[in-house]
Amino acid sequence: MVKEATEPTNVNPFVPYPATLKDVTDLTPDVKLFTVVLDRAEDEFDYKPGQFAFVSAFGVGEAPFGLTSVAHRKEGLQFAIRRVGTVTNTLHQLEPGTKLGVRGPFGNFFPLDDYKGKNIFIVGGGIGFAPLRPVVNTLLDRRKDYGNILILNAARSPQDLCFRSECDDWGKAPNTKVELTVDAGDENWKGRVALAPDVVEELKPSPDNAISIICGPPIMIRFTLQRLKKLGFGDEQIVTTLEGKMKCGLGKCFRCNVGEIYVCRDGPVFTFEQISQFIEQF
Amino acid sequence: MTKVLGKKELESWLNSIMQERILVAPKRVDDLVLFTPVHSVDEIAFDFQNTTLSPKELFFPRTETLFTIVHKDGEIEFTPVTVDRETVLFGIRPCDARGIAILDGPYLSDPPDSLWAQHRDKTTLIGLACAKPAPQCFCTSMGSSPTDTSNVDILLTEVDDGYAVEIVTEKGEKLLQGAELKESDVKPSVPQCDASVPAEGIVDAVKRAFEDPYWSRLADRCIHCNICAYVCPTCYCFDIRDYKAGGKIERIRTWESCQSKGFSRIAGGYDPRANKGSRLRQRFCHKLLYFPEQFGPLGCVGCGRCVTACPVNIDIREIISDIQERGAQVGQRSN
Ligand code: SF4
Ligand code: SF4
Ligand code: FES
Repeated sequence: MVKEATEPTNVNPFVPYPATLKDVTDLTPDVKLFTVVLDRAEDEFDYKPGQFAFVSAFGVGEAPFGLTSVAHRKEGLQFAIRRVGTVTNTLHQLEPGTKLGVRGPFGNFFPLDDYKGKNIFIVGGGIGFAPLRPVVNTLLDRRKDYGNILILNAARSPQDLCFRSECDDWGKAPNTKVELTVDAGDENWKGRVALAPDVVEELKPSPDNAISIICGPPIMIRFTLQRLKKLGFGDEQIVTTLEGKMKCGLGKCFRCNVGEIYVCRDGPVFTFEQISQFIEQF
Repeated sequence: MTKVLGKKELESWLNSIMQERILVAPKRVDDLVLFTPVHSVDEIAFDFQNTTLSPKELFFPRTETLFTIVHKDGEIEFTPVTVDRETVLFGIRPCDARGIAILDGPYLSDPPDSLWAQHRDKTTLIGLACAKPAPQCFCTSMGSSPTDTSNVDILLTEVDDGYAVEIVTEKGEKLLQGAELKESDVKPSVPQCDASVPAEGIVDAVKRAFEDPYWSRLADRCIHCNICAYVCPTCYCFDIRDYKAGGKIERIRTWESCQSKGFSRIAGGYDPRANKGSRLRQRFCHKLLYFPEQFGPLGCVGCGRCVTACPVNIDIREIISDIQERGAQVGQRSN
């Protein structure tokens, strides 16, 4: 293992693109939608549903977030961010105009081209809907390429439903149905009160020529997976994104591994068939 | 014939190196031997078995600024850190040199880590063969040897009247220009190091013993002091954070150990490796399974540091042979 003469490179992959926070809107009491625009046109990058980027709040740190916008709509980079830690707490306090950093895009993506002609069943729980929003928007922008689309957006309570107003628009597309459900309603809630896995059982999506994409808290994933399998979905027909501790996104810090898999590089998108092959199971 | 550098000639060569470059060499500091920048040959310890800490911090410092962030006229400016000074690392042991070389795997794979690449590029390695391996050493079991030249630029081996010199790379040849070498017919002795740790086939054995309760039982006594990662030449996990000082913000990276509690905890609090067994397994599976699967070589070079440093005697040599046994049992059961 004689070392190769190393090409010194001054391109430091940790340096983010300078960016500006353009807009912040509340999605739920603890989730905000951030729209970020890169300062230099030459930094603009293409990205696909499922990919993520690191957002820096300078002086506090950076953290990885799923890109929840779609590149071809050119509305800026959007991230749905829940207030859970130091970086996200800081981000939640920022005003439009603040300078940020963006490093990305990283990871693989939902292979939506491979799903052409299929029926798609999407289940998102809480903030878990964030990586699914660009999936829905991409599918709807190419509506005729896909079969029936059924979307289930679930949350603990009505006010915790992310992208609720967009759900109404999505439901207007042809052969597209959106179902909302909450674990517990409130005085204004007239919709469904049921756990997501139970709603899956009730909706009975057919596994024939179908793909199911599910994202949400681990417990929701576990039971939704069970129900989908009971309905006849195979592991290879069910797709999700994994979360991992991530510090670099570059396959270097080794914080994101599940067994021999790097979530940052090999993922975050996997089928349950792939996940079941991992040597380490979380 | 062997090229030999007499003791005096070695001194004047090192002195001339110190004029132009940073010379980092083993130095006694209380009862430790540490790689330290030296300004005189007297400071250098020649009679050590191995340094207390590995030389990885020359390439991957405990705390390293990646870039600085300055707000200027409403814009932000980033200044990446660059490595400018040429360094000569004197006295690196073959096992540690292998440790640095195997970390090229993760660090230079695309996209290359620019700081690692620059440290590597700017550093010349003068290896010092081991005359007398320590009892905890097992480099030969891990694919190296006390006189392994593969990962240094120059290897020196002590002989009666000085050091036998092997020039390995062009970089080494350049550094030796001006040194007074003589030809001699001495044959440096070839010391033996522990070759009995059964590392061959360990990748498969670890795979088979992955679910073995062995890991949890072993982890019961681990106190998460993290010293194993601290001393290890091949532990390379890190953390990244921001550091504010005097109006300037630095993004820094620091060493991190998989034995510490929050290592894998994700935002929101869920920690997939909350139990000790899965954390200890992560350490050994990274070295003995994931690293070789991704980059080829095993992620342990047999320096023995963690063996002596661990306060509760968690011994990788023992683990390798235990896992071989357990893996074989699982293999039999499933056949
Ligand atoms: S695991 Fe232990 S013996 Fe192996 S390289 Fe690291 S410190 Fe040395
Ligand atoms: S040195 Fe020993 S006790 Fe300390 S973290 Fe490592 S294995 Fe655990
Ligand atoms: S985030 Fe660093 S290796 Fe994946």
